Amino acid sequence: MHRRDVLKTGLAGLGALGLPGLAWGLPGRKQANWLFSAVDDADGHHYIQAISPGEERAFRIPVSERCHGGCLRPGGPQAVLFARRPGRSLHVVDGQARAETARIEAGADHHFYGHGVFDPSGRYLYVTANRIEDAAGLVRVYDAEQGYAHRHDLPLNGIGPHELRLMPDGRTLAIGLGGIRTHPDYGRAKLNLDDMAPALVLMDRQSGEISARHTPSHHQLSCRHLDVGADGTVIAGYQYQGPEWERRPLIARLSPQGDFSEISLPGPLTDELRQYTASIAIGRDMPRALITAPRGHRVLLLDSRDGRLLASHHLPDAAGARCDGRGGFLVSSGGGGLYRVGGDGSAPQRLGAWDVRWDNHLT
Amino acid sequence: MLKRLGRLGLAALALATTPLLADDGASQARERWHQAIEQRYGVLADASERLEASAARFCEQPDATHRQRLTRNWLDAYQAWQAVRFVDFGPIEQQSRAWQFQFWPDRKNLVGRKMQAWLAADQPPSAEQIAGDSVASQGFPALEYLLFDDSMQGAGALASPVACGLLRAITTHLADGTNALQRDWQRFGGHYRDTASYTASTLHGALLALETLEDKRLGAPMGLTGGAANGYLAEAWRSGRSVRLIEGTLHGLEDTFLPGLKTLLARHDEAALADAFRETLDRARRRAAGMSPGVAPALDDDTPFGELQGLHVQIGQLRYRLEEIGGVLGLVRGFNASDGD
Repeated sequence: MHRRDVLKTGLAGLGALGLPGLAWGLPGRKQANWLFSAVDDADGHHYIQAISPGEERAFRIPVSERCHGGCLRPGGPQAVLFARRPGRSLHVVDGQARAETARIEAGADHHFYGHGVFDPSGRYLYVTANRIEDAAGLVRVYDAEQGYAHRHDLPLNGIGPHELRLMPDGRTLAIGLGGIRTHPDYGRAKLNLDDMAPALVLMDRQSGEISARHTPSHHQLSCRHLDVGADGTVIAGYQYQGPEWERRPLIARLSPQGDFSEISLPGPLTDELRQYTASIAIGRDMPRALITAPRGHRVLLLDSRDGRLLASHHLPDAAGARCDGRGGFLVSSGGGGLYRVGGDGSAPQRLGAWDVRWDNHLT
Repeated sequence: MLKRLGRLGLAALALATTPLLADDGASQARERWHQAIEQRYGVLADASERLEASAARFCEQPDATHRQRLTRNWLDAYQAWQAVRFVDFGPIEQQSRAWQFQFWPDRKNLVGRKMQAWLAADQPPSAEQIAGDSVASQGFPALEYLLFDDSMQGAGALASPVACGLLRAITTHLADGTNALQRDWQRFGGHYRDTASYTASTLHGALLALETLEDKRLGAPMGLTGGAANGYLAEAWRSGRSVRLIEGTLHGLEDTFLPGLKTLLARHDEAALADAFRETLDRARRRAAGMSPGVAPALDDDTPFGELQGLHVQIGQLRYRLEEIGGVLGLVRGFNASDGD
């Protein structure tokens, strides 16, 4: 089923925006001028939404499960979007054909966690997954040139891998290991909050060797989302599973030299984030990192070189984030708005609004 | 490594407060909510202790009177939980407590399978073993299986040493958990009162509770959400007490959520909205109280089904009223905020 459904709402306004900085093709990513995200409509139906506002185009593909993150395939118009935990499908979407061109199932014994990344050639796709039988966290490797055939699994010696990105060396995967045990039979219930073992893991994508395992300062700081800067800086976001009245750091930083540290925000700001961060985006063209915190309805802007807080903005239900290639970030909101947040600390500007609920991540 | 705020950051932070809901006056509303929820968590803890004691008495003297009392105490405690189920933040999130108290929905009958496995063992588990087991073994639905499953109706089935030991272990675990919840809520108080965003969280929790009530607890088993009517989708289908649980939720919203809401709306000169919500809530609660106790048995009978439809409509109106209030107060419906990943 490759149904397409052109979105009618919200487009007219965008053509007229003509805002400086609204460039949709990232440097080195000229073909990929679609912006993809999982969305829900007002009735709760799930879609993969693609928009290309500069050209006033949009399409969406109905999917049976709520989706989560995605990744672009280097060197082509494809993107892959992933079912949300404990979903079992990954969807290959072709931006030129404006259609879903393949759907790969995890099979009965595994489910996905909602994120993946390609190697630089665009051939191999690395996807975080759960082997349900023993809750083993895996990176599953698929070969896009062979119809996304499953090749092998790289075990993580841990539970609940979530987002992963490729380091600038093209070999090392940075992986957020959430540490939370779940089982599809139990829906989204968390089954091991007392003995979680989260980590920020670095793994060689070819050998599967784990070269570093950085442990958060508390065993209930679930390391989920991350991004990697051009210089090799990793910024990772935590979700604290312990008492809400405790103050814990919610952001970690790995320097290009491999030094792991945690970033403490001012206490009242930490409280407002409600122990929860969603998307992380590091600027490709500037040393800035943006973190969305939907429970606190905030976005934070950091200097990615030292983790210094530069700005904190109110942004309702802030969800997905990515670098816009022009000194700022695009941020989606569950309320339907798409915003630009400047890397200079300037307040969010709304670029447009759609009659959808943008889900956690932008691709 | 504490980071300093840059000059830039301070300017941006100053702009960053939400209107109405971040208003200082909302702290009075939070004060009322905190007290009301504390009191209700206390009711839940007390009811769970009575249930634990009742299980012990039944096991010592397993006669019809003690079984009746046990069943009544189970329903009382289960309803006390329904009354505070709308609180979906704070200590209830520790150790997945909400799941421990009530594992639902249970489309694969994990509760039944877990209970059958424990009942087939030579020895009953300890409360510690239950604490270490699946959430399907830990809460009110597990007890419901022991009290109401067909296999447990035979003479002496529940009174057997293994079944009784299991019953006692689960009730002890539940009493421990609800007591810990009450203690943690007291410790949470300062943080809740001092953190402005909990005003929105509390409103949001109530709204989500009404949505779940309309769509999942009533709509889905009634066949109003796309699928066919299916009594097994109702909570407490084994005991046929689904409507009693809904009544518990409405009662809890009335005496736990409403007072803080009134305070909040009065500050914004919107007392009429609070009155309209209260009236709708009162009507729905009284209707539920007068109805037969189960959802599943009503599905095949026009008259009780009509009653269920009427209740469903009233819950929908109640949800509409609260959405309207949320709109006036500037509540942001957090799609990602309430269910991210």
